[in-house]
Amino acid sequence: MARAGGITNAVNVGIAVQADWENREFISNISLNVRRLFEFLLQFEATTKSKLACLNEKLDVLERRLEVLEVQVSTASANPSVFT
Amino acid sequence: METLSPSSSSISARRESVTFDEFSMQQSLLFTDSLKDLKNLRSQLYSAAEYFELSYSKDEQKQIVMNTLKDYAVKALVNTVDHLGSVSYKVNGLIDEKVDEVYGAELRVSCIEQRIRTCQMHIDQEGRAQQSLVIAAPKFHKRYIIPVDEPLPESGRKATAVNQERSFRPKEDMESQQFRADFCSSLRDRPPSFRKMRSLSPSPTMRARSASPRKGRSPSPSPRPGKWTTDKRAISPLPTANPLARSGSFSVRPAVLNSSNSARQLPVVAHKSVSMKLHSERNDNKEIERLPSKSKSFLKTLLSRRRSRKDEMLYSYIDEY
Repeated sequence: MARAGGITNAVNVGIAVQADWENREFISNISLNVRRLFEFLLQFEATTKSKLACLNEKLDVLERRLEVLEVQVSTASANPSVFT
Repeated sequence: METLSPSSSSISARRESVTFDEFSMQQSLLFTDSLKDLKNLRSQLYSAAEYFELSYSKDEQKQIVMNTLKDYAVKALVNTVDHLGSVSYKVNGLIDEKVDEVYGAELRVSCIEQRIRTCQMHIDQEGRAQQSLVIAAPKFHKRYIIPVDEPLPESGRKATAVNQERSFRPKEDMESQQFRADFCSSLRDRPPSFRKMRSLSPSPTMRARSASPRKGRSPSPSPRPGKWTTDKRAISPLPTANPLARSGSFSVRPAVLNSSNSARQLPVVAHKSVSMKLHSERNDNKEIERLPSKSKSFLKTLLSRRRSRKDEMLYSYIDEY
């Protein structure tokens, strides 16, 4: 009886250890995918920020050019004798 | 059907525009929903974690709780990846669309600037043209005005042509004409040249000299500085008024040399004749052949020098040899 109980305990311990290793493997896979997702988010943030900065710069330049054009048009409209 | 086609096309265009607007609205709604899900994902994950923790501690069937937790974590991760992918795709699309719009706006602004530049150039050109027309260019006469008092040299068509030539003649031509007139007047005032005098000389000896083979020869070369030429010119037996004394060359007048220098200057005479070979090649052979006879004539002239200084005969004798 003692031998049978010892064998079953060893089997149970072996099954528990195997389940523990399976759980650890699952957690490592989940953590690895979360890290990959985090890296993707960081990369996406950087690229999006750079694109937005470039777009902002272009919009600034365009705004200045539009201001210059607006001033020129206002000057020309203020002096209609130039076009006559 | 043909009349209805424009209306149908306009209707289809409206429908397309409506469908495009609806599609864009749907896309924007989906984007906002996905963004809201992403925002709520954090709270959902926290609440699920608390629920599973409590159930694992209280419930006896821990294995079932563990399996359910695993399934929920996998599904949550997959949903998160899906949401993040869709959101990032849409964000990239929006940014690219805005960038394209900015490029289009830059192109439009560039077109407007180019138009303004073109207008400015035209305005500048017009202003320049107006200013150039305002400046009055001075006008000059095309020809000189001849005074009324000056009579025309000729009349008729020829006279007008001459006047035109005169009017278009430059200043240099006038100066050259003046110089030519002065030169002609000076030539009239000058005595006749030696060559003319020689040709007009009445003496037979002069005619004989002019008929000699040295007739076509050029005048004597320019006087060289040195003793030989000064001695020759100082003791020349010929009268100074005789123009033939200057027209003769060195090689044909050895008799005029001094007696003291005769022995030393004989080779000089020979050398001189050789040097003259360079200038006149056609008389070289004759002069070399005449060199001994000239030495003889030279001695004879020395002997006959004391007899008379007016030795026209001696000169004729030299010319004959």
